[in-house]
Amino acid sequence: MKIMQKWIMAFILAALSITCLPHLINAEEQALDLQAIINEARTGSTIILPHGIYEGPILIEKTIHLKPRSGEEVAILNTSNQPAILIMADDVALTGLIIKDEQLKKQPTVLIQGDGVLLDQLHIHTGSFGIQMRKANHGQIQNTSIAWAGHVPERPVKLSDKGNGIDLYESNDNTFIGNTITSMHDGIYMENSDNNLIEENHFELLRYGVHCMYTKGTVIRNNVGNLNITGAMIMAARDVEVSNNTFTKQSENVNSQGILLFDAHGTSIVNNHVEGNRVGLYVEQSTMNHIKGNTMTANFIGIQLLDAENNAINSNQFIGNVASAEARNSVHNQLEGNYWDSFQGIDLDGDGRSEISYAINPFFQSLIKAKPGFQLFFQSPGMVFLEGLYQSQRQLWSVDASPLMEPSDQVRFIVPTQTLKHSAAVGAGLLSLAIYLIYLGVKRR
Amino acid sequence: MIQTVHIAIREIKLGFRNPWAYSFMGLFALFMLCLLMINAQGYVQGYSGITGTTLNLILYLLPLMSLLLGSFSLTAEKEDGSWELLSVYPLSTLSFIIGKYIGLAIVLLVIVSIGFGAAGILGYVAGSGFGLSTYVQLLTFSSTVALFFLAIAILLGTIAKNRWQSLTIAVAIWFFAIIGWPPLLIATLGFMPYPMIKPAVTLLTFLNPAELSRLFTVVKLGGGAILGPEYYEWIKWIRQPGGSFGFAAVVLVWIGSVIAAAQLVWERRRLRG
Repeated sequence: MKIMQKWIMAFILAALSITCLPHLINAEEQALDLQAIINEARTGSTIILPHGIYEGPILIEKTIHLKPRSGEEVAILNTSNQPAILIMADDVALTGLIIKDEQLKKQPTVLIQGDGVLLDQLHIHTGSFGIQMRKANHGQIQNTSIAWAGHVPERPVKLSDKGNGIDLYESNDNTFIGNTITSMHDGIYMENSDNNLIEENHFELLRYGVHCMYTKGTVIRNNVGNLNITGAMIMAARDVEVSNNTFTKQSENVNSQGILLFDAHGTSIVNNHVEGNRVGLYVEQSTMNHIKGNTMTANFIGIQLLDAENNAINSNQFIGNVASAEARNSVHNQLEGNYWDSFQGIDLDGDGRSEISYAINPFFQSLIKAKPGFQLFFQSPGMVFLEGLYQSQRQLWSVDASPLMEPSDQVRFIVPTQTLKHSAAVGAGLLSLAIYLIYLGVKRR
Repeated sequence: MIQTVHIAIREIKLGFRNPWAYSFMGLFALFMLCLLMINAQGYVQGYSGITGTTLNLILYLLPLMSLLLGSFSLTAEKEDGSWELLSVYPLSTLSFIIGKYIGLAIVLLVIVSIGFGAAGILGYVAGSGFGLSTYVQLLTFSSTVALFFLAIAILLGTIAKNRWQSLTIAVAIWFFAIIGWPPLLIATLGFMPYPMIKPAVTLLTFLNPAELSRLFTVVKLGGGAILGPEYYEWIKWIRQPGGSFGFAAVVLVWIGSVIAAAQLVWERRRLRG
């Protein structure tokens, strides 16, 4: 009886797998013409590609899942001026492919025009845009790497030659998780695209890591940016969340900053760590933003406020910056309970907050707005002295009413520390040489 | 040549028996250690809060030290009558001035080395100090500032009649070069047409050794971007290795011409008796 049951079960399972499960095509016998394989595939099927180099461009007009056979390497090589892969259908999935598309051109390497597309573990080498999404919603791009691979003949590559890593236009509700984007123009560029989630990505050597233009409801969380011109560029955007990101060493360019808000309203900038940038957090012409719990360490300027009004700036820590804060023409901001290491407060009632307020002197910013040539005086001894003298219209300054006396938790520094041994060795050498010279000088013949 | 060496050795011996040298040495070492103590960061690399503060504090202290030690040494020769004795020997004014400069330079560099040496070792012990490249950059900065202002001090000691006069002028020079510089430039250049400001600031920066050394160091520490787009080409140039050679050439030309001027003035006075 038991044997009979087993046979029946096996028969049912076999029948189910033939009728219900997506159709599996073994592409091994086919030529390396991937387009032909896709054309022959049924909608909803999964195509498993064996090891090999397949020719682009590829057009996908039906829902399929494309992936390499387990453990094998599948590369798609495109030398045409068309996108290496153009996805026009919904719910297409691409997994584990290597895409080499090193031509300099206008068309992107992957162009997505369908909804619900999944790109997972792709490796894209591009001479154009990495991935473009046009009116593509509810998609997901994860664990994918995008790097610039284009060569411009007879001159070095300029930033303007490059396309964006991921470029969205009118594409909403997409998710980008765990991607690594390097040496492109912008990492993820969003225009007129709302409610996209950007999480745990890595951005390096780009112009802007994340760039929002005319977006609503973008969430930028747990990302890492290093050596870009700007980590997160939030422009003309509303209700953006930027939280728990780390942006370091964005200091090479005269326009570098960790996080930039321009014409941004109602965004929340929370618990980010911004270290070693030209300006940690740059806020211009932005209102109603919540800036809370961020750590700005070792930047040239911790926070810079220009024409920024009605923002709430609380519980941030400014440590080891050359200038903690600069501000110009920024009124009605609510600054409270931040820690400024350059400020010595007095705590009379023992609540951990200073009774003396910390006011941000607007002199330098106003000066260089009128005459940029004087920017050379940034934090020079004479300029610090002059700022101390300048006290006019104090009621219009940005003021932290109750700055913290101590940093709220252990300050962490991310930029790698090396040993102090070497400078100690040089110091010891200097010291012994100096003492020997003094000895020679004072000894009697 | 041998006369220059003799004068330099004499100057070193005088310098290290001068209580002023030791009080400055103590002051400089103490304040280098204070910088370590206010630094909570542990390891410091590049242009940051603590390096910016260090630059400024060195600019407050070292130029004044160099100006006073240097100019007093020369006016003392006049006041104590030792120059009158020396000038009966076949000693050229140039050998005398260069010998003085080299001797005093060694004294000042020893003072700087003591301060930096102590900071380097104690920083390692306390686990809070500068990384090697920043340390070397700041040491170069201090030495350059000391050498620059020592040249000015030599000229000043030549012109001034006695210690009091040189003290007054030294403090004035220090104030205008370090503290009064931005207010002075902002006030005077404010009247100029807009496109003239940047070239004027650039040109005048070459006349102020404190500002020149500070900017060179800020750029070399990686802080050039904060100086703004106006100076982008300069910053790019200074960051290359060629920038260091260019700066070294400027230092040599600068010190050379000030020493030459001092030599001329001293020679004129010697001939007139």
